[in-house]
Amino acid sequence: MDFISATFVVFVILLSAVYFITPQKAKWCILLLGSYIFYMASSVKLLFFLVLTTAVTFVCGLILGNINEKQKTYLKEHKNEMTREEKKAFKSRTSGKKKWIVAAAVLINLGLLIFLKYFNFIGGNINSLLAGMGIEGKIPHLNLLLPLGISFYTLQSIAYIVDLYRGKYQADRNFFKFSLFMSFFPQIVQGPIARYDQLAHQLYEAHKFDYYRVTQGVQLILWGFMKKLILADRLAVAVNFVFDNPDPHEGFVLFFAAAGYGLQVYADFCGGMDVARGVAQILGIELALNFERPYFALSIEEFWRRWHITLGGWMRDYVFYPLSLSKAFATLGKWTRKIFGNYIGKKLPTFLSMFIVFLLVGVWHGSSWKYVAYGIWNGTIIVSSILLEPVYEKVLKKCRVNTDCFSWRFFQMMRTFVLCSFGRFFSRGISCMTSLDMMKRTVTNFNPWVFFDGSFLELGLGYKDFYVIFIFILVLLVAGVMQERGIRIREKIAEQNLYFRWLLYIGALVVLLIYGSYGPEYAVGEFIYQQF
Amino acid sequence: MKEQLLDILNDLRPDVEFEKEKKLIDDGVLDSFDIVSLVSELNSEFDVEINVMDLEPDNFNTVEAMLELIVKMQEEG
Repeated sequence: MDFISATFVVFVILLSAVYFITPQKAKWCILLLGSYIFYMASSVKLLFFLVLTTAVTFVCGLILGNINEKQKTYLKEHKNEMTREEKKAFKSRTSGKKKWIVAAAVLINLGLLIFLKYFNFIGGNINSLLAGMGIEGKIPHLNLLLPLGISFYTLQSIAYIVDLYRGKYQADRNFFKFSLFMSFFPQIVQGPIARYDQLAHQLYEAHKFDYYRVTQGVQLILWGFMKKLILADRLAVAVNFVFDNPDPHEGFVLFFAAAGYGLQVYADFCGGMDVARGVAQILGIELALNFERPYFALSIEEFWRRWHITLGGWMRDYVFYPLSLSKAFATLGKWTRKIFGNYIGKKLPTFLSMFIVFLLVGVWHGSSWKYVAYGIWNGTIIVSSILLEPVYEKVLKKCRVNTDCFSWRFFQMMRTFVLCSFGRFFSRGISCMTSLDMMKRTVTNFNPWVFFDGSFLELGLGYKDFYVIFIFILVLLVAGVMQERGIRIREKIAEQNLYFRWLLYIGALVVLLIYGSYGPEYAVGEFIYQQF
Repeated sequence: MKEQLLDILNDLRPDVEFEKEKKLIDDGVLDSFDIVSLVSELNSEFDVEINVMDLEPDNFNTVEAMLELIVKMQEEG
């Protein structure tokens, strides 16, 4: 069941109606039922994997929770008898046991993801490597289907297990409630990747019908549909046209396709998030924010803090911090300080962790070398910008550049936009080599006349489409500036009188119906991140 | 102890007025790079073992919270 479909709209209306009339204690059961119906409407066969991950996570969580409880009780009972060293030794022993449980859960859940998503990629590469050495590789290519949302719910399950290991909260003791946390329908398709302590209690609590909240949710859904149908699916036409056959195109046209793809992914993913958050809001549930106007970022590092926030947060808490603060990395730090001196030596282990994070983010997007290159591209820019920061500062000082003014911030914003857009060559290109070739031809075969000779009108879009794209980007820009200034647009709309509000809703609906991308020439349907 | 902590913080980020800030993490004043450097410095300066489990925003949002964390760590040995 696609988000952008009449079936989904009817499903949400029916589910909400049933949810609000159901007695308080059973409301979460409706959400569970609805979530499983939604999942089965998308893929019945692959439901097994979701249930398996849920069961493994639940059981391992329960064992971890029991160990935590026993440890707590024992330490409380023997508080006065034990010395500090004895307490430390006791904690270390229980921590050892817990590590085995965490390892088992992560191995099974992540193993499933790796097998289903990367088996053919890894096997194919091993076969090629062996062929290069004159040996025939016999790893078969399997017809594997990727269960809906596996890249999202696997990360969610790992976060739950690791948090229990860290003693952050108590384990869930109700399998069915936990199944709801793992399968909540608005966020199973493409996130946001939820944390148990932020989402679970909201799902289990009963929420009453609230007219104000429902209108806020509907507004968000409408806004999400607009981003997806007016901008993302329209841009997709030109982007696909260029990327599917890049050879005839040069310079600015290639750059337009890459930048256009960046905007398409933004409108598509952020639009999908708006729909997910809007639906959850109708039901009284606040999902985590996944985007904070990334194109307003002044650096790539900031861009990644504003883009896919829940994935970034997951990587920070479960990969970056544990790696950077591990004993192995501390030892590495001592060694690099001796060799490279204090400034660089101190930073190198952190850079290595950051690089690993970006490689993982790249690979998380898909099983292809182009995603590895995408990770390397982002990691390299971030690491080099931090390393070279003292040099930049010296140059800026020497050239007397005023960095405390709008023009400088605008320059930084544009620089980030260009760098991000170049990175998109990797994530959208057919292959790594094609992407590199497109990048090269963008900067070498520069033809500024393409803006005036109608080249852009040969990409599958007419001039009316370009007007629509331009106006919608302008609307996004204005809305973004308002949000950056702390103005809560939906709350402002709610403050207006009834006539104006309804005029706005109907206007938005009409705009969506007229200017949305429908018909055979547009590839409306799946969200990009749904395929990850 | 507070002076020592402020020295470390000012060394790390001279551009931030640490005593005035109340949401160093929540407002994104300190990023993950800063946190990793800060924790390494705190561990060696105060002979504590702040680890990944203690990296909660509440422990690093203010200078006072950081001091509290250090004292707690020292007491726990």
